[in-house]
Amino acid sequence: MKGKPLFNLLGVLVVLSLALAACGGGKATEAAVSDGPKVTSSGFACPEPNPRMEVTSTELNIFVWTEYFPQDMLDCFELVYGIKLNRDEYSSNEEMYAKVSAGGTAYDLAQPTDYIVPLMIRTGLLQEFDHSKLPLLGNIDPNWMDQSFDPGNKYSVPYLAGTDAIVVNTEAVENVPTSWSDLWKPEYAGRLVFIDDSRAVIGMTLVTLGYDPNTTNEAELEEAKAKLAELVPNVKLFDSDSPKTALIAGDVDLGMVWTGEAFTANQENPAIQYIYPEEGPVLWQDNWVMLKDASHADAAYAWINYIMQGEVFWLTIRDFQYTNPNIAALEYAKANQPEVYSAYFDSPITNPPAEAVAKGFGIEDVGEATPLYDNIWVEIKGGN
Amino acid sequence: MLQRLRESKSMQGTFLALPTTLWLFVLLIIPLFLTLIVSFGQRSPDGGVIFSFSLDNYIRLLGYSTDCPGGQASCFDPLYVNILWRSLTLAFNTTAVVILLAYPLAYFIARAHPKRRNLFLFMVLIPLWTNFVIRVYAWMMLLRKEGAINIVIGWVAGLFGIEFTPLEMLYTPGAVLVGMVYEFLPFMILPIYTSLEKIDNSLYEAAADLGANAVKTLLRVTLPLSMPGVVAGTILVFIPVMGTFIVSDILGGRQVILVGNLIQRQFLDARDPTFGSAASLILMVMTLIVTYFYTRKFGFGEEIVAA
Repeated sequence: MKGKPLFNLLGVLVVLSLALAACGGGKATEAAVSDGPKVTSSGFACPEPNPRMEVTSTELNIFVWTEYFPQDMLDCFELVYGIKLNRDEYSSNEEMYAKVSAGGTAYDLAQPTDYIVPLMIRTGLLQEFDHSKLPLLGNIDPNWMDQSFDPGNKYSVPYLAGTDAIVVNTEAVENVPTSWSDLWKPEYAGRLVFIDDSRAVIGMTLVTLGYDPNTTNEAELEEAKAKLAELVPNVKLFDSDSPKTALIAGDVDLGMVWTGEAFTANQENPAIQYIYPEEGPVLWQDNWVMLKDASHADAAYAWINYIMQGEVFWLTIRDFQYTNPNIAALEYAKANQPEVYSAYFDSPITNPPAEAVAKGFGIEDVGEATPLYDNIWVEIKGGN
Repeated sequence: MLQRLRESKSMQGTFLALPTTLWLFVLLIIPLFLTLIVSFGQRSPDGGVIFSFSLDNYIRLLGYSTDCPGGQASCFDPLYVNILWRSLTLAFNTTAVVILLAYPLAYFIARAHPKRRNLFLFMVLIPLWTNFVIRVYAWMMLLRKEGAINIVIGWVAGLFGIEFTPLEMLYTPGAVLVGMVYEFLPFMILPIYTSLEKIDNSLYEAAADLGANAVKTLLRVTLPLSMPGVVAGTILVFIPVMGTFIVSDILGGRQVILVGNLIQRQFLDARDPTFGSAASLILMVMTLIVTYFYTRKFGFGEEIVAA
């Protein structure tokens, strides 16, 4: 044996990997055949689907945002329906659109933000929802339904909503910014984090110049580009996956993020606060859409209905705190999970004050002007 | 038919090469041809491709624009040329640092006791068992402001009572260089090792017999004989570094833009596959030119086969 450490080591590794493979396999079969009370690996007892949909598909492919789904919600759906849920993730609307429109994907559902929905409808990527198969649509607060990007919700069903506003570590930053235009101050250079979201960041810049955040005027966009070119060298990090990580770790001290990231960062470190800028936050809403060539439509309806149940959807309030349009979920959480509910309801991050919402602005589809925005983004970020 | 196959050497060759030829044709030649066609097209507002024959994408890449903010007939914007230049210098720097680090290690392994060599080589390969992206993320943990490196330096400074402000290492071009060097080091060590290991021991004895000292032996015997390994390693490192975008995305905070990032963004963020295709082709041509001149000077590096 002596003199053969290599083989010993290899042997150990082989045994280990076999053991790991066995574990993995075991879990998968368990999920498929489990009978009786359905409990996820974290100990969450899955509510039964109500109503239970007729499903013949054994698979569902969804294309969704990163850091947006409670694991229990995903596991429960697989457990109660015995459907294999395949999830691919993206971290920008533009990326999602590029991949879906290139074709050849097998996704059934995607999750575009408001302004991308009209584009996807226009380019024929979507199919209409059959509202008779969405009995729980009434769980959604009417304030989030029938929006201008999809009148009558023919093609889209709301998931979560939120804002983009200023996040700041008040321990590290002396002069706390109160407006978007404050972010240009030289004292913040090298300490900024921004979501990698072209339309939101350019929209915010346009607003600081006093222009429409959805302008199609080339001169205004050119001005915004020049203004943004002053900001980008001060930005340390563009991150749409998890900007909270750099904030909590102290690599950056302030910036522009969306609701859920700010909420989690604030829970980790209460000094990290979310400030609604004077010019108003960006308001947005993410939505389920069904792709034209979806081959598991029945499973897709089952998924949307299942997660829309109040006793399932409240998990989003527990794990990924965004503004919640599901009334049933809020009521369920209020009655059964008072702590989770009050953390959500009392936080100005998830439950923005009315005056902030009133000042806020949305991002809209700009049609023919889209290339102007796209080019500004790529050129600005390539410049340094 | 079988009889003829048994007799004809050329037919056997054709048969053996058929699977790879098909593979390369379907997955390399055809896509490359499509990329070329797309690169002459124009994007539609919704991100589709309008097929046409226009050199606009290439002209834009070289920095010339007919749509100038000042209203002149044409103007020059070095944005993309700068990105190309940045990638080229980073690839050169990475390769140089990797050679400097890999050569002594490969030499050490090649001169080690034969029983130990396999263990050492094995240790070089172990990191490759972990996913590329995960290894880059590990560097994030090390380099961040409250990361391992700053904690250790801070602790040592504390022992000597020195004031220490954490270094800003993550999300800088330096972090990208470190990440690239780390990722590609094994691809340099292995070919250099292979060529060093092949050097006959009697050559060193002969050099010593003829009165060469250690430095002279290194310069006149070891280095020239191991050049094929260095060349092979350089090709294996330089080409991927030119096109990689993961390392600069993660360790550069999406602020250090290389050609790889530019191309990726054209396809995803900017939804302009035509410009992305043009940039891909320019990257290929640039890499080919550099490799061509390099291999003309130093040969093709037969160790590429051995590695």
